[in-house]
Amino acid sequence: MKSGSSSLPTTSPLSLTRSLRRLRYEYSPMTLNLWFALWFVFLGFLFYPIAFMLKGAVVYEGRFTLDFFALLLRDPQLADALKGSFGLAFTSTALTLALAVPIAYAMVRVRLPFKGVLNVLLLVPMISPPFVSAIAVRKLLARFGPINQLLISLGLVDPTNPPSWLDYPFWGIVILQVLHFLPIAYLNCVAALARIDRSLEEAAQSLGASGFRLFRTVTLPLMMPGLFAAGSLVFILAFTDLGTPLVFNYTRVIAVQVFHRVEQALEDPTGYAMVLLVMVLSILIFWTSKRWAERWQVQTIPRAAGETGERVLPMPLTIAITASILLVAFLAILPNIAVVLNAFADRWFMTILPDRWTLKYFQQLLVYPLAATSIRNSLLYSLASALLDIILGLAIAYIVVRRKAPLPQWLDSTAMLPLAIPGIVIAFGYVGAFANTPLDPRQNPALLLIIAYAIRRLPYMVRACYAGLQQVSEALEEASLNLGASPLRTFVKVTLPQIVPHLIAGGIMAFAFAMLEVSDSLILAFDQQYFPITKAIYVLANRLEGGVQMASAMGVLGMVVLALALAISTRLMGRRMGEVFRV
Amino acid sequence: MVSVSAQNIVKYLGRTLVLKGVSLEIKPSEFFFVLGPSGCGKTTFLRVLAGFLFPDDGRVFFGERDVTFVPPHKRNAAMVFQHYALFPHMSVWENVAYGLKLRRLPRGEIERRVREALRLVRLEGFERRLPLQLSGGQQQRVALARAIAVHPDLLLLDEPLSNLDAKLRAEMRGELKALQRQLGVTTIYVTHDQKEALAMADRIAVMHDGQVVQVGTPTELYRKPLTRFVAEFLGDANVWEGRVKSVHSDLVVVETGFGEVKCQPPSFAVSQGERVWVMIRPESVSVTTDRTEASNQPNTFPASIEQTIYLGEAVEILAKIGETSVKALHFRPEDGGLPNEVRFKFSPDDLTLIPYEVA
Repeated sequence: MKSGSSSLPTTSPLSLTRSLRRLRYEYSPMTLNLWFALWFVFLGFLFYPIAFMLKGAVVYEGRFTLDFFALLLRDPQLADALKGSFGLAFTSTALTLALAVPIAYAMVRVRLPFKGVLNVLLLVPMISPPFVSAIAVRKLLARFGPINQLLISLGLVDPTNPPSWLDYPFWGIVILQVLHFLPIAYLNCVAALARIDRSLEEAAQSLGASGFRLFRTVTLPLMMPGLFAAGSLVFILAFTDLGTPLVFNYTRVIAVQVFHRVEQALEDPTGYAMVLLVMVLSILIFWTSKRWAERWQVQTIPRAAGETGERVLPMPLTIAITASILLVAFLAILPNIAVVLNAFADRWFMTILPDRWTLKYFQQLLVYPLAATSIRNSLLYSLASALLDIILGLAIAYIVVRRKAPLPQWLDSTAMLPLAIPGIVIAFGYVGAFANTPLDPRQNPALLLIIAYAIRRLPYMVRACYAGLQQVSEALEEASLNLGASPLRTFVKVTLPQIVPHLIAGGIMAFAFAMLEVSDSLILAFDQQYFPITKAIYVLANRLEGGVQMASAMGVLGMVVLALALAISTRLMGRRMGEVFRV
Repeated sequence: MVSVSAQNIVKYLGRTLVLKGVSLEIKPSEFFFVLGPSGCGKTTFLRVLAGFLFPDDGRVFFGERDVTFVPPHKRNAAMVFQHYALFPHMSVWENVAYGLKLRRLPRGEIERRVREALRLVRLEGFERRLPLQLSGGQQQRVALARAIAVHPDLLLLDEPLSNLDAKLRAEMRGELKALQRQLGVTTIYVTHDQKEALAMADRIAVMHDGQVVQVGTPTELYRKPLTRFVAEFLGDANVWEGRVKSVHSDLVVVETGFGEVKCQPPSFAVSQGERVWVMIRPESVSVTTDRTEASNQPNTFPASIEQTIYLGEAVEILAKIGETSVKALHFRPEDGGLPNEVRFKFSPDDLTLIPYEVA
């Protein structure tokens, strides 16, 4: 709007008293109190631990020093671990994307049979706890394990001297990571493709582009923002993955180095320096990819619904594509299958498949103290963290989407920070920052575990709430206020009823992921009686006879919980589920 | 019923100055329209009255009560939203009863008022339906019923008919006007549709670029616009530039590009030699084919027709008098059509002078 000949200034001419009245008018006391409470939580459980580590890393005996960082960078073991982590993350990310992009393209753009089934199969690996599947895969790959048995029976390897796959832990980890991260990358690629305006591709076609050239010159560049986002997410997950390398006894990654320093967190400041280094790198990667994604972002016009834009390919090609996707999906599910086989196998030695089945490991879960308590603990922790997440997520989303308190965009950025800050960083910070306080995790980690789980999953919860609130037209709330309802009453009577499905979906997801969370659980739980499931699995798997099978049985339970959670959430959220997992 | 007084309302949205000091006085029980093109600030103004936006400067009074700092839910000014804003999880009955329950009315009273409101909008029998099971027109009626059920001091309507099809819209105009008369509630109606405003309003305020340009009855605005913008926004208009040649007590002579015209004196002062706009509505132009009429009769000019557009009840004529384009509406057109050369006659009463300003 042009300001014309008006003599009024172009900035708001509010007087101070008018500004104060405006604040009081637009922000109700209820939302302002919430706002303060939220910042208290963030300051206490996100910023303070990081600040504490920073202080620990750069202040020694009252003086500022960068010695610990210098020490760190000169430490050959650490340089090796950094190199290892980068190598692992690059390899895993590249391979994941190399698989995800063509699969997503085929799934979105080509008419394939059984698309619904394929889609579900591709998402199944999401329910596998990377940790447990790593144990199972380790078993599959053993020198006289099922894979070699299969190869021997096919006459492909020498039965007297089968290859020792576990001598290459790096590639074992890469394979597991790629298979596990594939669903997330796939979801992001599908979303990126769906956002592309088909008429741009049609324009290119009318100008003579087709096939791979069309893909390379138009489709791929338009997908770039989504690809960057997916890539950075996978990269950070791979870079800071703790569970898989631990299982493969692979110490040449930074996460394992950090884990081994938790015990001496308070005495050895290089631990803090190392964690901070990881954090800075992760944030840098995240931030760079976001900047790149924004630079590539092209405004496109949404296409009218109803047009799928699917291409019909010749029958043999369609079959070949379907078969390839099935093969990848099967490989990705293989670790899950291995977990299930392990859990039910009574005897599985020198054979391709177990030759005797049993339920005894599930029965043992009920009586074996470590297993039983850890299940009870995890249920409690996860439930509490899910409830906490619902409250935090709802409050943040309401304030941000409806602009009900000052600086909503700061609240949003902070809530999204856990996407960029690895779990090992927050957990390590908690160990240091809350040592010798009533919250000390070495005494009782329950409260910190609950908070850590909640903060880690907060971005997804907040997004689920965003999606819900954005569906509720603001005019409905205004109509309610207009008819005389107070803001609180409006929220309870009009807003809340319409976003309940999103809240439940988000809560269930938060619950399920908390059940299978690895880094916080491994780092924060010191005492057996407070172990959550994942730490119990880790301990069990390294223990005596039957440990692996019991760990697998717990893994199966976890998979069932997560699968149910995903199914229910998807039901409730409908098509908006994709928005939650996007970066 | 309350009067409404908006005094020097200023509102920024972000860094954009949307309302540049809007002042309006609305009388009790008046059906008042705020009319303007999109982006003129009319909806912002309505939202300030409802309390959804806090004005950066100025005051709002409902009667004697200063409501500037009163939150929306305590204003008792019921609004009908452009997209109706019906609660999708409540039935029609619950939607209409919502505001009544908040007022803690006894059960019987709530029931009575919901019934009355639904009867007024002719929606009896739809009580148990959900909003999504209703057509656009029915949803619009529910929104209206919900607003009038609470017996508001002030009824605010934000382009309530803009989502209806043309036929329904024309029907609803009559109904709304009758309903407003019947209830006698002070009503402020925001729209960009000048036909709606002219058809229903007691008075209209025309807004342009964050300011009120003119306030008046429909006839005043249509016949005596104070700016070229109002003239052209309220309907078709021929607007010519001219210079005042002489000023008399009962008429003003203006020299235009095609000759002298005699106009009725304007409401503002003009002096000889001053530049003005001369405006006449196409339907006020008399078209005659009678060649015997003296060609030197005042305000009569020979016109050559360039194009005719048949509209059914009339023919729209695009013609030239010399170099000047003139649009005319010729009613009850003869079957034989019009000759190419006709005469246009402008009655002095239909020629309105508008102060000259550079657009």
